[in-house]
Amino acid sequence: MAATGFNSFDMAHRQFDHVADLLDLDTATRALLRDPLREYQFLIPVRMDDGHVQVFRGFRVQHNDARGPSKGGLRFHPQETIDTVRALAMWMTWKCAVVDIPLGGAKGGVVCDPHHLSMREQEQICRGWIRQIARDIGPLTDVPAPDVMTSPQHMLWMLDEFEVIQGGRHYPGLITGKPVGMGGSLGRTEATGYGVVFVLREALKVLGIDPAGTTAAVQGFGNVAQYAIQLYTQLGGTVIAVSSWDDADQVSYTFRRASGVNVEELQSISDKFGGIDRHKAKGLGFDVLPGEAWLEQEVDILLPAALENQIRGDNAERINRRVRVVAEGANGPTTPEADEILKRRNIFVLPDFLTNAGGVTCSYFEQVQSNMNYYWERDEVLSKLDLKMTSAFVAVHDVADRQTLSMRDAAYVIAINRVAHACRDRGWV
Amino acid sequence: MQPEGSTDNIMLALRERAKELHCLYNVLELMNRADLTLQEVCEALLVVLPPGWQFPDACFARVTLDGVVHEPPRALRTPWVQKADLVVHGHAIGSIEVYYTQEMPESAEGPFLAEERKLIDTIAERVSEYVAQRQAPRVAKVAGASGRGAEWRVIVDFLRKTDPALVSRLGRRMLNYLSWDGILDAQALLQRAAAALAESGMADENRPIDRRNLPPPDAMTEAFDVAARHLSGDEIVNCIEKWIKDDKSSFLIEAVERQHTSLAEIQHALDRYESFAAPDRELSGAVQKGLRVSLARRLLTDDVEFVNKAKMYISVDDYHAVLHRTITPAASHGKLGGKSAGLLLAARIIRHAHEYVDTLGGIKVPKTWYVTSDGVLSFIEHNQLDDVHNHKYLEIDQIRREYPHIVQVFRHSQFPPELAHGLALALDDLGHVPLIVRSSSLLEDRMGAAFSGKYKSLFVANQGTKAERLRALLDAIAEVYASVFGPDPIEYRANRGLLDFHEEMGLMIQEVVGCRVGPYYLPALAGVGFSKNEFRWSPRIARDDGLLRLVPGLGTRAVDRVADDYPVLVAPGKPGLRVNVTPDEVVRYAPKKIDVINLETRRFETIAITDLLRAHGREYPMVRQIVSVVDDGGILRPVSFGWNPATVTPVVTFEGLTRDTPFITRMQALLRVLRERMETPVDIEFASDGRDLYLLQCRAQSFVADAAPAPIPHDVPTDRVVFATRRFVSNGRVPDLTHIVFVDPDGYHDLATQQDLSDVGRAVGRLNKLLPRRQFALIGPGRWGSRGDIKLGVQVTYSDINNAALLMEVAARRGNYVPEVSFGTHFFQDLVEAAIRYLPIFPGEPDVVFNEGFLRGAPNVLGELLPEYVHLAGALRVIDVPRATGGMVLRVLMNADAEQALGMFAVPAESVTAARAQRAVPIEPASGEAPVSVPEEHWRWRLAMAERIAADVDPARFGVKAMYVFGSTKNATAGPASDIDLLVHVEAMHEQQQALAIWLDGWSTCLAELNYLRTGRRSQGLLDVHFVTDVDIERQTSYAVKIGAVTDPARPLKVGPAA
Repeated sequence: MAATGFNSFDMAHRQFDHVADLLDLDTATRALLRDPLREYQFLIPVRMDDGHVQVFRGFRVQHNDARGPSKGGLRFHPQETIDTVRALAMWMTWKCAVVDIPLGGAKGGVVCDPHHLSMREQEQICRGWIRQIARDIGPLTDVPAPDVMTSPQHMLWMLDEFEVIQGGRHYPGLITGKPVGMGGSLGRTEATGYGVVFVLREALKVLGIDPAGTTAAVQGFGNVAQYAIQLYTQLGGTVIAVSSWDDADQVSYTFRRASGVNVEELQSISDKFGGIDRHKAKGLGFDVLPGEAWLEQEVDILLPAALENQIRGDNAERINRRVRVVAEGANGPTTPEADEILKRRNIFVLPDFLTNAGGVTCSYFEQVQSNMNYYWERDEVLSKLDLKMTSAFVAVHDVADRQTLSMRDAAYVIAINRVAHACRDRGWV
Repeated sequence: MQPEGSTDNIMLALRERAKELHCLYNVLELMNRADLTLQEVCEALLVVLPPGWQFPDACFARVTLDGVVHEPPRALRTPWVQKADLVVHGHAIGSIEVYYTQEMPESAEGPFLAEERKLIDTIAERVSEYVAQRQAPRVAKVAGASGRGAEWRVIVDFLRKTDPALVSRLGRRMLNYLSWDGILDAQALLQRAAAALAESGMADENRPIDRRNLPPPDAMTEAFDVAARHLSGDEIVNCIEKWIKDDKSSFLIEAVERQHTSLAEIQHALDRYESFAAPDRELSGAVQKGLRVSLARRLLTDDVEFVNKAKMYISVDDYHAVLHRTITPAASHGKLGGKSAGLLLAARIIRHAHEYVDTLGGIKVPKTWYVTSDGVLSFIEHNQLDDVHNHKYLEIDQIRREYPHIVQVFRHSQFPPELAHGLALALDDLGHVPLIVRSSSLLEDRMGAAFSGKYKSLFVANQGTKAERLRALLDAIAEVYASVFGPDPIEYRANRGLLDFHEEMGLMIQEVVGCRVGPYYLPALAGVGFSKNEFRWSPRIARDDGLLRLVPGLGTRAVDRVADDYPVLVAPGKPGLRVNVTPDEVVRYAPKKIDVINLETRRFETIAITDLLRAHGREYPMVRQIVSVVDDGGILRPVSFGWNPATVTPVVTFEGLTRDTPFITRMQALLRVLRERMETPVDIEFASDGRDLYLLQCRAQSFVADAAPAPIPHDVPTDRVVFATRRFVSNGRVPDLTHIVFVDPDGYHDLATQQDLSDVGRAVGRLNKLLPRRQFALIGPGRWGSRGDIKLGVQVTYSDINNAALLMEVAARRGNYVPEVSFGTHFFQDLVEAAIRYLPIFPGEPDVVFNEGFLRGAPNVLGELLPEYVHLAGALRVIDVPRATGGMVLRVLMNADAEQALGMFAVPAESVTAARAQRAVPIEPASGEAPVSVPEEHWRWRLAMAERIAADVDPARFGVKAMYVFGSTKNATAGPASDIDLLVHVEAMHEQQQALAIWLDGWSTCLAELNYLRTGRRSQGLLDVHFVTDVDIERQTSYAVKIGAVTDPARPLKVGPAA
């Protein structure tokens, strides 16, 4: 890459250096954690449908496995670069550590655009990727998962190829993101949304607020938002506003009803992507307001669960005085400028990194169940998730409290600290 | 013998001659069979003789030879007998007798014709000779009368006795035939015949030549003597046979060629022709072609190209079959119209594609009845509605106002008896199947698809009693007829100077392909196919790979671009490369709704696919080939059994259809065959009921709106070229552009923070709302909308670019790395449905021009439009083209046939307003025609209304400080569907503003109604009002930037009543 301009791995470095300073890490630990432990780059020749052979470039980056087998997604993307993969692998290490699951971080991918490939060709890429890396991954070493433009189908092709190479022995724990019944875990759909509310519940507890009687406004009505609203309502809270994207009008709207939102009712008038039918919503007594109105509502809790960069310097001031907590269900919904404003206004921010870690935790559960070849009921999965998320919050809050850090900084501090400890305990540094 | 003269009599006579000759051939044939004994020959004669007589069904023969009698079993002798003796060497050795079993009309010899006497005598003579030969074989050989060699003499002799005129014509033809072959004897004979004529004043060329008789029959029979010296007996017999058949068809040619014969008469002539039982192919090639051409002209079209194809594939028999299902008014001279002709030709082409019989063999065309194009005229005349013809010269708003009444009047009118009768007959033939009444007009034929869709096509459920069904069908036809006088087609014609064209509308009444699913009737799937793919979503797809737009149910949703739904796109040449890959994309861009005919309500309906599948999924044909299931984050094909669509989430993918059935192979072959044989890319409609595939329509693709190749000029000065590229070009029109949004690849790459990079996407989204709709191009590096490394493409969603007219991706080399382009895959289907064009460019490749000098050097107006993003000015450049070039616009010409696209500065044509106004309206017929000017009244009227509103507003009551108009009304680019963008500068008083909003809302509704009357475009309201306050103006937020803006500023209006 050229020296100028934005680079995702540079950004990951800067973030790491900031926390390493807070932790006062020694040089060797810094050097070890700043870069991936292992990187694999290889070529995958594939005979295309028209008979010619095309060669694809594959990656696997294992950033750190001091705490356990490394874990991370597999991306099919035409603009995959080694630096992007490195940054994302490092982020996986911290993410597993913050919820204290015994896994390291990795990421991988293939430079390709599935839009220009037939399913057969994609299958060949999946199998080719496994053939090149089979000796360096496995249930006990490195566990891939679906990511950008890869689906459960790709995971099953990969699993199959791996098991063929292993002489037909079954290793469902090789990979996660498998369909239920083929080594997948129950509860995965609910995991992220529920995880957000488990963390939120704990936050309210330390703030001394009874969830019953609180109100919230939610941005988005996708998978995460729907389950979050469901659980939050069960805790006694009332969601009075939900914003969602209107595909026909190509704008978002906020749907507000003072008496509160009923998830099943809203689901019945929304499409698969959480787009809510504006006209039907009016019929159900909702006010239809502009898209950004969700963050101006007089509520206790804001729950951005849609896109990144939604709370920004230019709109953070419009947040209502009553708001006490922002729970980041989406990835990166708050910009650094907005973060400053929230800090100044003393709004408690639950960082994405911790708050939406329910998904990765459930992936870990899938791997555990696969390795046992014994699968839990949904309730068992969700109660274990509650336990994990709750203790993760407690630990992060503890650090934030003791060292007067923001929750965001505290989450990074605790994550990097855990990895650094593991490296030291193993005698690596 | 009947008196001569009438066609009927000539016909009858000819038919008899043919029968007699046929009988004679058969007898002669028997004489050549060495393997038969004499007695066997006699038995065989019993079979071949009766067909030669006038009433073969009541006829039998009896042959006596050497005392042995041959007759059919249980033959009963009657008094109606004709007899000839068999004589060998002067001795009677037997006889041939022909009996009628019942009394027949009196003729020359009892019930027998004079010719039949000659026939039986000729046969008896020939049989006698034959017997003599068999008895003395050696004599025969010496005589050298070998088999067929002498047959032609027998035939000619017979004909000379029965039809001397025919012999004369045959002789003349033989003479010509021989002369053309360079046979000197024949030429000499011809000269002799000509010499007889030459005495008259041939020298005076300006005087008509006196009409002379041809040489007498005797002279002409000489021709056969000449022929005998040069041709074999077989050849002569073959020639005679063929020419006699040609001669027979002359009446048909005459009937078709004569302009005043009605279609009914032609049909009658065809009926009689068919009754010869002489297959078409036995006519000589030239005559056959002549007939086909004449029929094509009369029934299909005058278009030479089309007739040329039609004559190769559509046989006389085919026309006969079509006419049997054609309803004509009395004395009709109409045609079937363009749509019918196209389908007819395509169907015949498929039938003739023998090399594709495996793939195309089963393709069908739904049963169709036709009403000729003059049916509408006869309908109008019958009801004294002639005034309606001048209706088209009224003002358009009056036409629009009156149109609903015309529809009602038409529906309450009577059909002429021939039409009503014919339609009742058609209903009996078609049965209770739902029908579609499709227009097939002469203008559609002339203008191609640019005109299609202007007239109505209506579905009829066709349920209930015969009377109800007929009523419904007649109503539908009346409504389709009325659509000739609808405001949209009239306006379209007026704009193109076609108002005076004599329009007629034929109809196709076609079975709707489908089957019953619950209360609904629908095809399992339907769609349209194009042999050229103008919307390639991958560099691996070639234009010739074609394109299919597939939907479940009726094809209406595939034909039109539907705003809120998507068809499934497949390139038949690369079926594995799908537009949508991730489960999210697959679900998002899957068809959600389905068009059906509800047999219970007898209506055409649009329903949700999930509802239909939930209730009736098990009855839906081929459901497992059409639908996949969403399961745990993946999209799976349903397993082969036990799948219940009522309990899983179905999503329409056609995955099974493309992977497990030969459907794609068939479509590919179909498109290829039609393209090759019609010698032009084609555009077809098809449907399947789950069992068979049906072709519903076929026409040339070059007519399809938006897809005409633009001619690329070669003499453009370099400084006027913005870009020129030669890869992945599609055909299509981009309206003239006034703005360019250029994301500089280098500037973008140098942005230092993620925030800045994502701000570029956000700024583009803002510009998308600010710049004039469909008048700007987006040009940027790498992949628009990609979620990968943000450095390699601007991160936008579809809503950030949906007003652009053109999206360009620059694959600028960076080191030794050339970024891949996306082909717009992230919102590909949105681009297709909105007709936003996509073009990648590869600077540095040979023949590629990319004028970065201009794009980087022209003034950047970003800061004026979006001051808050001025820090991005190094990466994001907004160019006001007219301002930067002294009034020119960016014109983009795309020509896929030449693989060339050119973006150049051009002086805005008169037609810019037209092109700017509305992308949704197909703008052009084929290229090369004069630009079409669209009336200016749309913006003028809007501006006048805006001024009127401003004058009427009470500034004190509503707290209005100023009013402005901007957008298309101000820019004189408003089209019939444009709204009026008003900017109102108000006091911050909330109540006043609310009252004003209500007051303006009233205006908005009224104007929408007025606009509907003028243009036929329905809208909720016509005003798009934006309020700004002092604070907004101070901060330059929202639309306040338009006030006093440097580029495209809002135009102030005079507020309040004049003092």
